[in-house]
Amino acid sequence: MIITRSWKRTALSLAAIGALAGALGAQAPALPAAPKNAPQDSGALRVQVQGTLTDAQKNDAGLEALTKSVASELRCPVCQGLSIQDSPSELSQQMRTVVKEQLAAGKSQQEVKDYFISKYGEWILLEPQAHGFNLLIYALPVFLVLGGAVFVVFIVKRWTAAPATAGASVPTADDTE
Amino acid sequence: MIRLIASNAILVALVVTALGAILTPVAILRGRRDWLSFSFAAVYTNFALVTVSTLALVWGLVSHDFSISYVAQVGSRATPTFYTIISLWGALEGSIVFWAWVLGMYAAAVVWFNRKREGNLVPYAAMALLLVALFFHILLLGPANPFQAVFPVPFDGPGPNPLLQNHILMGVHPPLLYLGYVGMTVPFAFAVGAMLSGEVASDDWIRLTRRWTLVAWGFLTAAIIAGMWWSYEVLGWGGYWAWDPVENASFIPWLTCTAYLHSVMVQERRGMLKLWNLNLMVGTFVLTILGTFLTRSGIISSVHAFTQGTIGYYFLGFIAVVLLSTLILVAGNSDKLGSEGKLDAPLSRETAFLLQNMFFTVFMFTVLIGTLFPLVAELVRGVKVSVGTPFFNKMSIPLMVALLFLMGVGPVLPWRKGAGPELKGKLTAGVVLGLLFGVVGLVMGARNAYAVLSFTFAGFALGANVGEFVRGANARVRAHGESWLVALSRLVAGNRRRFGGYVAHIGVVLVALGVTASGTFKKEQEATLTPGQSMTVSGHTVRFKNAWLREEKQRQVVGATMEIMDGTRVSATVEPRMNYYPTSQQPVPTPQVKSTWSGDIYLNLMAFKQDGSNVTVKVIWEPLVPWIWFGGFVICFGAILGILPTRREAAVASAPAGGTP
Repeated sequence: MIITRSWKRTALSLAAIGALAGALGAQAPALPAAPKNAPQDSGALRVQVQGTLTDAQKNDAGLEALTKSVASELRCPVCQGLSIQDSPSELSQQMRTVVKEQLAAGKSQQEVKDYFISKYGEWILLEPQAHGFNLLIYALPVFLVLGGAVFVVFIVKRWTAAPATAGASVPTADDTE
Repeated sequence: MIRLIASNAILVALVVTALGAILTPVAILRGRRDWLSFSFAAVYTNFALVTVSTLALVWGLVSHDFSISYVAQVGSRATPTFYTIISLWGALEGSIVFWAWVLGMYAAAVVWFNRKREGNLVPYAAMALLLVALFFHILLLGPANPFQAVFPVPFDGPGPNPLLQNHILMGVHPPLLYLGYVGMTVPFAFAVGAMLSGEVASDDWIRLTRRWTLVAWGFLTAAIIAGMWWSYEVLGWGGYWAWDPVENASFIPWLTCTAYLHSVMVQERRGMLKLWNLNLMVGTFVLTILGTFLTRSGIISSVHAFTQGTIGYYFLGFIAVVLLSTLILVAGNSDKLGSEGKLDAPLSRETAFLLQNMFFTVFMFTVLIGTLFPLVAELVRGVKVSVGTPFFNKMSIPLMVALLFLMGVGPVLPWRKGAGPELKGKLTAGVVLGLLFGVVGLVMGARNAYAVLSFTFAGFALGANVGEFVRGANARVRAHGESWLVALSRLVAGNRRRFGGYVAHIGVVLVALGVTASGTFKKEQEATLTPGQSMTVSGHTVRFKNAWLREEKQRQVVGATMEIMDGTRVSATVEPRMNYYPTSQQPVPTPQVKSTWSGDIYLNLMAFKQDGSNVTVKVIWEPLVPWIWFGGFVICFGAILGILPTRREAAVASAPAGGTP
């Protein structure tokens, strides 16, 4: 019961942060967490969030690996293209805790991602979901490699088809390798 | 006063470059070759004027002349002089001034060295250089004017962006980047000159610019590595590459230029791929301008996109003009760009180069598509999406692995004819080293197939490239009876270009090993420590001693003194810090790195109790990361070897017809 309630509180505060970040837009990443002009204690908030995980869950290597995998695909809203796994920012650390808590509560990886999409939009995913229009960026490089390979075969065939002429090539000393 | 000198120098430079550019075709079409000396003079005069303007701006920065808009924007009396000087490239306007200066320098140098050459190639190339310079002067008098009057004159300014005054590499990375980026203008201008003068059928433009292209490529390579290093040392997340749009912007032209450096050898030796090489060089130049557009227009939010404005339209217009005019030129010259050579067998070095070019081009398009996709998606779907590390890694790692493999195959394949029985012997060292590296990777715990392949092919490429040195030296020992080291140095001195290339390959192997190892075996842990407490990551123990606060002129610094332990002995002391600048809400992390040959211990201060009773630190074990920086130096050394003249070329240059520097 306690777990659920404080989980909700975390979710609410994250939603508020998300709305704020959304309002500021991706262009102007300001720190939505308590702004700090001077050195101050920065540990307090985190302790509060971390309170919902049991000691066993905190040290669970499997849960840690799952968290890492999800966190690597979520974008830190206040950084420049870093994932919340990589980012040292405070908001990322809080978001990572939320990921871990939701996974510990039995949500699937996709459900956790969907939760963040519902808060921040598709933008929060560092890799576009492979459906619809987004398929384009996955398909284009593959087509380019295939097309390029066909082209290379075509060129080499043309180069080798005609009888070899001495032509432009004058073998020099270091040709003989 | 300073403001007026600097501003008017640019205005005069604009007139001079415009007149010089117009004069060139007039002189050639009217048969008045004596007029051409005026357009060359315009190139030198432009350099002098831009130098005056750049020095004036630096002087304005150093003397804190806040009546100049740029100084008022980035200057501050509290900033140390070094960071004041380098704030010349800290924001849009100053960096365009610096760009114009580097361009002026390249143009003056390349025209000076080739001034005596007969024919219309050099005059037309000078014209192209003047036209590009003209574009930057227009920017400086229009949307990127750093010399506007500020009234009333403020007493002090905000100082440069904190991220740009936190590390000495900010004095290294941007100039290298500009020297690389702007340097691509030289081969581009000569390509244009060759097409305009009709000399494109001969490969003279390629021979004249070979060294200039390599210089620009070397600077761009060094700039990318220095940028990675800066991001590693400053941003505090323990990584060096985030596929940030601006990192991509520097990487995209590097890919096409690297492709060009290889395929141009096919043209020089075999007279093939002429049209392709021309397109690669024009493409490289356009991609540098596109990169600047992405960086400086603020169109894609990114760590480097510090500024926004109307300048984007100017860049787009310029790109359109360049693309359209070169397209017309290429179409008009297509009859002269046919292929001369033929192959005896498909498995030859030409084919390896073709494949390499194909992979590099696909790589370039993949990064370009990924970088531009958020813009396209927003236009088409109206939804903001992100394209970041997971996408780029997924798409580019297979390409990089394929390129590593080709880097080992290419050097051992013979030109034109098919590979003979000697191929087996040439491949032995590579195969043995490759298997060894792959097994070591597996034993160390690599389970990702691409990581194992990357280790294997890195070893393979290392064996193949080192093998070229060994076989060549051995042959000399047999033929001339020299000692092995003498044979090796004479071998390299006799063909610096070829062996410079192999040295660069070895550097790439070192970078690949560093990237693969740090990507695969990196370990990190975060902990809150009280004084005397220690933590261990991957066998490396660090102990927290004390936290402290220091007031500096331009900032407040909070630091933690951490001891790196060797058993019970303290082997080193490092001080990760957080720097608080008055203009920034967030502290700037200042991680500290303790390097060993096998990797870095990376410490970042994450949080602290105000009374100093505890700190939270992140400790990352970064295997083989120093190899990346060292590999960068090796690549640049290879480039320098390739730039130095060989004996054969020196003989040609001293002959009367030669005009090569």
